[in-house]
Amino acid sequence: MKTKEPCRVAFPRFGNYHIPLEFLFTKGLGVEYITPPPSTKKTLEIGSKYSPDYVCSPFKFNLGNYIEAIEAGANTLVQTGGTCRLGYYGELHEQILKDLGYDVKFVNMSKANYRNPLTFYNEFKKVNPNLNLAKVSSALLTMLKMVECIDNVDDYVRQNVGFEVHDGEMEKIHEAYLEALKQVETKKDVIKTTKTYMKKLKDVKTKKPKKLIRVGIVGEYYTIMEPFSNHFIEKELAKKGIVIYRWMNVTNSILHYDGKEQKKVIKNYVKYYMGATSMSTVYKTLEWAKAGFDGIVHVKSFGCTPEIDAMPVLQKISADYKIPILYFSFDSQTSETGIQTRLEAFYDMIMMRKEKRK
Amino acid sequence: MKVGIPRAFLYYKYHYLWESFLEELGIEYVVSPYTNREIYQQGTIYAIDEACLSSKIYLGHVASLLGKCDYILVPRVFGFGEDGSVCTKFQAIYDVVNNTFRNQKIKILYYNINPKETANEFRSFLKMGKFLGKKKAQITRAYLIAKQNQKVNQLMDMKRQESLLEKDGMKILLVGHPYNVYDRYIGDPIIQYLKSLEVTPIIADLCDKKAAREASFQVSETLPWAFNRELVGAIEIYRKKIDGIILMSSFPCGPDSLVNEIILRRIKGIPILNLVLDGQDGSAGLETRLESFIDIIKIKRDEKDED
Amino acid sequence: MKKAYLGIDIGSISTKAVIIDEKNKILASEYLWTEGNPMEAVKKVLRSLEPQFKKKTYQIVSVGTTGSARKLIGAMVGASVVKNEITAHAIGTTSLYPDVRTILEIGGQDSKIILIEDGVVVDYAMNTLCAAGTGSFLSSQARRLGVEVEEFGKIALKSKKPTNIAARCTVFAESDLVHKAQIGHRKEDIIAGLCKAVVTNYLNNVGKGKKIVAPVVFQGGVSKNIGVTKAFEEATGCDVIVDPNSHLMGALGVAILARKSKKEKEFSFNITDMEFKTIGIECQKCANHCEIICVYKNNQMIDSWGNRCENGAIPIKNKEA
Repeated sequence: MKTKEPCRVAFPRFGNYHIPLEFLFTKGLGVEYITPPPSTKKTLEIGSKYSPDYVCSPFKFNLGNYIEAIEAGANTLVQTGGTCRLGYYGELHEQILKDLGYDVKFVNMSKANYRNPLTFYNEFKKVNPNLNLAKVSSALLTMLKMVECIDNVDDYVRQNVGFEVHDGEMEKIHEAYLEALKQVETKKDVIKTTKTYMKKLKDVKTKKPKKLIRVGIVGEYYTIMEPFSNHFIEKELAKKGIVIYRWMNVTNSILHYDGKEQKKVIKNYVKYYMGATSMSTVYKTLEWAKAGFDGIVHVKSFGCTPEIDAMPVLQKISADYKIPILYFSFDSQTSETGIQTRLEAFYDMIMMRKEKRK
Repeated sequence: MKVGIPRAFLYYKYHYLWESFLEELGIEYVVSPYTNREIYQQGTIYAIDEACLSSKIYLGHVASLLGKCDYILVPRVFGFGEDGSVCTKFQAIYDVVNNTFRNQKIKILYYNINPKETANEFRSFLKMGKFLGKKKAQITRAYLIAKQNQKVNQLMDMKRQESLLEKDGMKILLVGHPYNVYDRYIGDPIIQYLKSLEVTPIIADLCDKKAAREASFQVSETLPWAFNRELVGAIEIYRKKIDGIILMSSFPCGPDSLVNEIILRRIKGIPILNLVLDGQDGSAGLETRLESFIDIIKIKRDEKDED
Repeated sequence: MKKAYLGIDIGSISTKAVIIDEKNKILASEYLWTEGNPMEAVKKVLRSLEPQFKKKTYQIVSVGTTGSARKLIGAMVGASVVKNEITAHAIGTTSLYPDVRTILEIGGQDSKIILIEDGVVVDYAMNTLCAAGTGSFLSSQARRLGVEVEEFGKIALKSKKPTNIAARCTVFAESDLVHKAQIGHRKEDIIAGLCKAVVTNYLNNVGKGKKIVAPVVFQGGVSKNIGVTKAFEEATGCDVIVDPNSHLMGALGVAILARKSKKEKEFSFNITDMEFKTIGIECQKCANHCEIICVYKNNQMIDSWGNRCENGAIPIKNKEA
């Protein structure tokens, strides 16, 4: 890469978190941020073409995002670390992109050491050598607030969108909210903007039946949070008039994570940490089963080891609490009609069970 | 009391230690038979369909021990600290076994390796020994003897292989987790077939572990998994003494899905065959691939000799 | 005039249809190959149903569709109920076997298990990955062995020592099968082995973690294969019931749902003379590029779907009520 070229950073697409990321990079690190185009069929096709065959699909999506971001002008790519295969994504992504002939800088957070925060700072310095620490930390705080607000609004929409009187109203406000967030400067702005749009959302006319159908979604980090990768499963379920609960988001799983509490709750089922998101999957499934939810939907990418290992536990919870669990495993060839059929049947089953209980 | 040991997964890394520890404590044990079709099929019945072949075989071994012993040994490993982490399968296996066989009322003998909680190997064996009703001094002695025994035997295995490396003839490095390479159902047929072609198989896992882990950094900087580091490092150490490499993975192994790709992209100048095994017992296709791989190496070598 | 109800089940391989009266009695039925053209298949099915029942006594007042092309055919015939095949199968089977606890179903490309308590679906699963162990897998293997798939079951029963076939994946299974044939296994043993492999694969994939409780009903196209039925009985230790109309359960179920829907509209067989076509367009209004399917009747669009957002909605002029 030409050394004098200004830095244009990109990070793989992931839910709506490109908005806080853009804020952190532009306002905190003082570099340009290129938001990769939203993931599409083409993204997955490009990613799959250059990825090893049986790697988990988030790897393929990420690679597709990188290539599309490079085409959109990015010259510096960032990858995070992780406790499962994700911890090794970066090095292979970098190698594949290099072999394809892309001349880009790759910042791999796996090289940073979690026990030494300074090493993170060093990785950031690779993005911008004239880093201003005060600016970064202030932007970081605003960014974290933004993440929390996005997750809160997301939760509200998820639980209410199925009951709006006029279809599409909430989605429009939600989109406008995300657009407005792109304009904020300070933490105060974030809070104010969120309040304004939350009020608009609450003003949307909804009609809820007395007895609500509640379904919880659990599963692997990427697939559960990136709607394209799970074939917009939340939207499909909500459309049927279901209240959707999802605990898994960045706020709950990183900012306010309480592993000890989770372990305590699930101790009758799990003794040791089982890797990546598996503990949270078991934890929420059990809590929602106890709370009398009508069903659980488990989503993951094909071959995700931690989530595969959570499945025998979920099967036990399903048997103990008589709660139906629908399992989805997505790969690059999942068929749309197959998903529809399973979701429809799941809904019918829940309704039949409800009828019977009356 | 009788302890059952599944002949799968970590057995191939620790059997000297386990067996000699239990012997020293005077505890009877039984090791499950070599993997056979019945064990494999039992495994596929109990395992989640998408789980890797090796973990299916593991559950098959556990199933084969039910009713034949009082406790089944299922160790749990979180990681090895500075030496690297492990596939989450090893973090989860205790609870996977417990939940899978809950209806069979399985009783598990276990120990936990987690450097974060200072549960080093000795301490965890001490705990396990106490669970088995033994005294501290007795357990300490048994552990030290077992550890010594493990060291000596592993050293002997290593030396034996080193002498093979000096032999004439074609040598192929088998890069795969020992629980796949040595398994009678997955890897052993490949070893036997190579031998029938008068090829000397060199086992990457028999390389000096510490040296291999260090050497692995020359190939990959951020590789998280200790077991894969040991294999990658062995390539680096042996590459001048071998004629080709066979990567051997069970479908769909998480770590191998990435690491093999790194190996294929970074290890140049030596032929590599990438085998992904999925429990099919029709070996016809496999033998064809192995045979042609060896043939090509031979042809290339002969061409070189003529030059 | 008595009321009658039409149920159509359009799968990827075969198309099934029944006409029932108000007491769920089957008045007419047909079963034929879809041959990759569901619209043509439905026309054929209708032409064959028409002379089978007394048109002077009965009038079809409501239609239901199910199966993978349910939506398309639903639009075509003006169905009052369009239902997924899991629910349809459960309804159809429980109407004949009210006590059933487990429904095993293997069709052309899909296989499923449905668990029932007191006539209510309490759990179900469908095949996840590949077509190994479904009807299309068996037909392709039959072709390989030079045997009619209809003969499969009878041949399998002759075997005393079924060959072990790896069946996790179609590709693996095929290479294994060829190999076994070449090293001299008898044909009937290989066929019995295939039937067993289908069952093993089904139980390990679809049936994983599901408790199979009697009474067990086996249906779908593959249920006609007595070799597979026998393999199921051996593997589960339960008697397995196969209804003579086992292939019609989905169609029957959705006909019953059409009856229960109370949405009535006289159905006319003249749609067999109309021209239907579908056009798939890739929406360019955003990066999702949804594939939108438009259905045309006599060159007039009657329905469209596939768009994930409102941007992709195509207005329908003169949509029939």
